Amino acid sequence: VLTASPNVRSLPLPCIMCHINFSERLILYIIELFPTWVGMDFPCLCLSVVLARDWPSSVFDCIDSYLRFLTFLAFYRWKRLETHDVVIECAKISLDPSEASYEDGYSVSHQLSARFPHRSADVTASPYVDTQNSYGSATSTPYSSSRLTLNTPGQLPQTLSSPSTRLLTEPPQATLWSPSMVCGMTTPPTSPGNVPADLSHPYSKVFGTAAGGKGTPLGTPATSPPPAPLYHSDDISLPLATATAPRKVSASHLRSCPSTLPSNRGSVTLSDLPGFLGDLASEEDSIEKDREEAAICKELSEITTAEAEPVAPRGGFDSPFYRDSLLGSQRKTHSAASGAQVASTNPEPLHSSLDKLGPDTPKQAFTPIDLPCGGAHESPAGDRDRQTSLETNILTPSPCKIPPQRGVGFGSGQPPPYDHLFEVALPKTAHHFVSKKTTELLKKAKGNTEEDYMPSTSPVEILDRLIQQGADAHGKELSRLSLPSKSVDWTHFGGSPPSDEIRTLRDQLLLLHNQLLYERFKRQQHALRNRRLLRKVIHAAALEEHNAAMKDQLKLQEKDIQIWKVSLQKEQARYSQLQEQRDSVVTQLHSQIRQLQHDREEFYNQSQELQTKLEDCRNMIAELRVELKKASSKVCHTELQLSQVSQKLSNSESVQQQMEFLNRQLLVLGEVNELYLEQLQSKHSDSSKEVEMMKAAYRKELEKNRNHVLQQNQRLDTSQKRILELESHLAKKDHLLLEQKKYLEDVKLQARGQLQAAESRYEAQKRITQAFELEILDLYGRLEKDGLLKKLEEEKTEAAEAAEERLDCCNDGCSDSTVGHNEEASGHNGETKTPRPGGTRGSGGSRGGGGGSSSSSSERSTPEKPPTQRAGPFSSRWENPMGEPSPSIPATVGSLPSSKSFLGMKARELFRNKSESQCDEDGVTISSLSETLKTELGKDSGVEAKAPLTLDGPRTSPPNPDSVGQLRIMDYNEAHHEHS
Amino acid sequence: MTEDSQRNFRSVYYEKVGFRGVEEKKSLEILLKDDRLDIEKLCTFSQRFPLPSMYRALVWKVLLGILPPHHESHAQVMMYRKEQYSDVLHALKVIRFVSEATPQAEVYLRMYQLESGKLPRSPSFLLEPEDEVFLAIAKAMEEMVEDTVDCYWIIRCFVNQLKNKHRDALPQLPKAFEQYLNLEDSRLLGHLKTCSAVSRLPYDLWFNRCFAGCLPESSLQRVWDKVVSGSCKILVFVAVEILLTFKIKVMALNSAEKITQFLENNWATFIA
Repeated sequence: VLTASPNVRSLPLPCIMCHINFSERLILYIIELFPTWVGMDFPCLCLSVVLARDWPSSVFDCIDSYLRFLTFLAFYRWKRLETHDVVIECAKISLDPSEASYEDGYSVSHQLSARFPHRSADVTASPYVDTQNSYGSATSTPYSSSRLTLNTPGQLPQTLSSPSTRLLTEPPQATLWSPSMVCGMTTPPTSPGNVPADLSHPYSKVFGTAAGGKGTPLGTPATSPPPAPLYHSDDISLPLATATAPRKVSASHLRSCPSTLPSNRGSVTLSDLPGFLGDLASEEDSIEKDREEAAICKELSEITTAEAEPVAPRGGFDSPFYRDSLLGSQRKTHSAASGAQVASTNPEPLHSSLDKLGPDTPKQAFTPIDLPCGGAHESPAGDRDRQTSLETNILTPSPCKIPPQRGVGFGSGQPPPYDHLFEVALPKTAHHFVSKKTTELLKKAKGNTEEDYMPSTSPVEILDRLIQQGADAHGKELSRLSLPSKSVDWTHFGGSPPSDEIRTLRDQLLLLHNQLLYERFKRQQHALRNRRLLRKVIHAAALEEHNAAMKDQLKLQEKDIQIWKVSLQKEQARYSQLQEQRDSVVTQLHSQIRQLQHDREEFYNQSQELQTKLEDCRNMIAELRVELKKASSKVCHTELQLSQVSQKLSNSESVQQQMEFLNRQLLVLGEVNELYLEQLQSKHSDSSKEVEMMKAAYRKELEKNRNHVLQQNQRLDTSQKRILELESHLAKKDHLLLEQKKYLEDVKLQARGQLQAAESRYEAQKRITQAFELEILDLYGRLEKDGLLKKLEEEKTEAAEAAEERLDCCNDGCSDSTVGHNEEASGHNGETKTPRPGGTRGSGGSRGGGGGSSSSSSERSTPEKPPTQRAGPFSSRWENPMGEPSPSIPATVGSLPSSKSFLGMKARELFRNKSESQCDEDGVTISSLSETLKTELGKDSGVEAKAPLTLDGPRTSPPNPDSVGQLRIMDYNEAHHEHS
Repeated sequence: MTEDSQRNFRSVYYEKVGFRGVEEKKSLEILLKDDRLDIEKLCTFSQRFPLPSMYRALVWKVLLGILPPHHESHAQVMMYRKEQYSDVLHALKVIRFVSEATPQAEVYLRMYQLESGKLPRSPSFLLEPEDEVFLAIAKAMEEMVEDTVDCYWIIRCFVNQLKNKHRDALPQLPKAFEQYLNLEDSRLLGHLKTCSAVSRLPYDLWFNRCFAGCLPESSLQRVWDKVVSGSCKILVFVAVEILLTFKIKVMALNSAEKITQFLENNWATFIA
């Protein structure tokens, strides 16, 4: 059926997969997987459907869900694989038997052909059958039958029967539904983790039957040698530790899957195996273990780092697999030894010695090369382990190991994790399968509960058992060696050949199988390694190509470099040429420059010469100009002379006219003279001489006169011209004068304007200072008043006397100040008052002195105000002492030498402005002084003159500045003096 | 002529049409360009035409003698004037005659008084009639001239001119007023005479104060242009014109007090 699916085969899947991306690759792969896993009955149909893309909905659903689940499951796995791995995988799973078997030598067709017969009667597990088939042996039926017979003669036929039935039932089921059976679970596994499972799968059964057959009846603890499992566990634990994700996933699926076997077993087998074995190994010799581990590591490293090696050195000692093979042989030897031990222990306890001797036996065809070391090492430690393993063996009867085997088989393979998904993918078949399985399980659970408890047999254990079997076979071989005695007996008895021989044969067969499996494993390892190596080769090829490319590039670059060098040299040469050229040009230019400089100097000299010539020419020109001027002046002169001459000419002409006129007159006169002469001759002949004399005199006189006239005329003309010239000059000068006058006036006006401004400013300043003085005096007056008031209070009593004395003094006119003030006062009042105490008028004096005419004028112009205003500061302050004449004030005032004091002088100078030297006269009477003052004041300001003060007596009296001045105002006086 | 033609070709037409004074500003500028200002020409110009406001202060200053006719000395003289102003003001401040709060017109008055030597003893003294006149003129002038120094000097010289130059002419003005009023409108004069209001007309306001505080500023400026340029007869004509303008009103009033009151106070509001 499968071979009849041309569509699948026609797909050049691997080729495609190399070029398409991951997801597409996956899909294609799944499509290819699909018929193999799912639709074994209708692969063509499925594929055609799939390829035609004309899917019925149910199929589509199946496909869809299945694809989904596959993609989900295989994601990690496929992702981690390399291209060639994928190719190999494809080849492995491909329906094409030639492709699929190119590595392992398996063909699905073989498997299938092997399987279908098994379905009916085969008890043995499919892999076992497969191996048989692969080896091209005869049909499996004899083997199975033999095995059945082998099993049946076992010590426990009842127990065997149940497993056998189980085995009968189970494999068909697996073949019925599980694509894993088809696609890869039975074939040597892809990952190393699967290997032991596969290995364990067949052998466990056998071993289990064997062990079960042997262990239970004997009950001896020496059935299985512990060291072997330990070593195997180590071997397997490593791959387990480095197990890939899919395996773990599968384990988890195994656990979670309800339809499969009780999950605890599967989980124990895979996940707890290292721990379990570790517990066992803890008692083991650590050194040995380490050495083993080291060896394994080394091996692995060697495998990874190994050079690409052909398939040839598989068994060779020089190959990296030599160790592996060594180890394998060791294991084999161990197993053989253990088997021998078991065998020996089983029938004859003497075989302990044989155990040691075992390696030496030459008969063992499969005995490894260096067996003794392993055996020697293990033997001492074996005692303890033997007991433990015995215990386990006791606890785990051999038949019970079958389910674990299956579990392990499932767990290591893919199907178990898919089980729960089958329900989704293929509901009907899944349901069928589940129901079947449940019934089976139920049966199993009912049949022997003990078996369920059995801990799952690990591949290591399986190997262990294998070794044990080998040992058995060995033992039997040994026994056969010692058979002569027996054979003697046998021949003696003439019976059928002893069952021992059959057993030994079977054991041999088993051993051969074991070896076969080992070889297969080895081959697989080789394949693995080959894959890696292939990868490396590819890498190396790529690198080589890269290297070659790089080399080419390098060559190209070198060529480039050479070219560049050549060009560089050329450029350098050119550069040197250019430099030479440049140098030559530079020298040429230098010479040119020198020439040019020389030329320039020549030119310079020439130009200097020319300049000197030019200067000469200029000088000449200047001289010529001077001459020209002279000539022109001469010309002017000559012109003038000419004009004069022409004038003279005209004069002479006029003179000539006159002369002509005179000549005519002369002629006339001559005629007249002749007439008169005739008359005279007639009358006075005597007078002729006289007449002639007279005539001559006349003529001379005439000529003289004529000359004189001429001279006079000329003089007149010249003088007239002169007059004209002078007149013009005069006019010019007049004009100039006028202009000068105008300008002068202008300037005067300008200056006057400024002067007026300055004057006005000066006036203003004057007014300002006057105002200041007034203010200052006012202030001082106030101060004075305060002081006086105090004094007044002190000296009130002497006021009257002092007043009288003061009066006397005033009348005498001894003091200038009083006199002056009295004068002023009288002037103001317009009446000669009896001088009251002059001291009272200090303020007035100060005012008059300071404020001058302006203040007084203002006072007088506003006669009503002063009483009120002035009464405040001055009059009020001075009236009081007047009303009650205090002696102090007159004393102070009177004692003043006012004429000498500054204030007095000040006042005098002030007054002197109006009338000089008025105040100098001490003895002037009051009235006269007052009059003069009055007139001065009147002059000072017209306003002042009109209004005589209508002040009260004491106030009108001019202030005696002396008192005030002498009292306090020295500084002020000085300032004032300067000012006025 | 070329300059005239360049100035404005429309001037001839303006004059033909009757717009006189379009070229006044230009001619005044020409006048002011002379280095030595011809004061007589300026006088005649200012008597004939109203002065442009931008040149009014300058022309007044020149006419009143605050600035000399020479341009060169203008700066110096003005500096003198300014310093004098500041000196006087400072003095007044020092003797505490004026303060910051004192109205500017009064400040001018005090300064004038100080400069003319008529400063009273105390600022609280009553003002004299001439001071009132000064104050009125100062208040009016304050409105016209911005710069305080210029203002003070113009006021000062204006008042001085009134006092000195027109001293003799001013008392004659009322008579001239009557005469001109008689010529213009004898009926009105008759009415005034019947009311015996002729002698009570506000001559002081009109002639002494030169209508300061009476006419609005713009018209007052024009009147004062003439006064500054030396003719005080303009005052008479202005007064006559005022009376003629308010003839009906004045004729309606019968008593002298009313007429005076009207002329002193109300008519300005009527104008407004």
